[in-house]
Amino acid sequence: MHALETKLLGEINYDDDAVIEFPHGLPGFDDFRRFVAVTLENAKPLVFLQSVEDAALCFTTLPVLSVDPRYRLSLSGEDRDLVDLPATRQPVIGREVMCLAVVSIRETGATANLLAPVVVNPRNLKAVQAVAQESGYSHQHVLMETAVEEVALCS
Amino acid sequence: MMSRRAGETILIGEDIEVVIAHIGRSRVKVGIRAPRETSVIALEVKLVRDENLAAAGGDPAEFSSLIARWHPVSQGLSRPTDKVGVRQEAGTKS
Repeated sequence: MHALETKLLGEINYDDDAVIEFPHGLPGFDDFRRFVAVTLENAKPLVFLQSVEDAALCFTTLPVLSVDPRYRLSLSGEDRDLVDLPATRQPVIGREVMCLAVVSIRETGATANLLAPVVVNPRNLKAVQAVAQESGYSHQHVLMETAVEEVALCS
Repeated sequence: MMSRRAGETILIGEDIEVVIAHIGRSRVKVGIRAPRETSVIALEVKLVRDENLAAAGGDPAEFSSLIARWHPVSQGLSRPTDKVGVRQEAGTKS
């Protein structure tokens, strides 16, 4: 069991067998390969992907099906190969893979990246952020526009 | 705009070559020869990279506010969450 004092989540404890490995890192973070998925009782359904190599690096994510219940995966053969998933068909979200959308917060509100979901194979905890080319999904899918409403109320 | 047939090449500057390798029904295979220091990626990968850099820069207070606001939003979603194996298989004790 390891203890890590993180910037966002405070102290977390994790076992080596809970570490998710991104063999290629994530775009923009190619050198960060090892993360743990953390859920907090008061922050459901958010899932935090905390780097165990950098206490300050944490992605806030949502299960894609909670953003879009009809979400369809389109993993490339290369990405399926990378995390040891069957090459012949798309894996079933929730059953065969854990599928998370990275959330960003900006002044206009929060968005989720449905273009490139994080796909984790729970059998071996290998993961990839898979760019779903030609899927039509947005990298900035709007979750809420509260900030815009606030601006309208104030003006 | 420029029209090219399969097998033909476009030259950008002195040292970047773009070869139209194969034209399929809905995809084109393009070969690119460029200096090592020139990054060659699909536009989507750049979008995802920029999005990740923005997402990882979030400060804790912003996420606390996201959590606080999450409740009204989750009512707008038709199902709360897919029951993935996060907690059982990859969860950590916080």
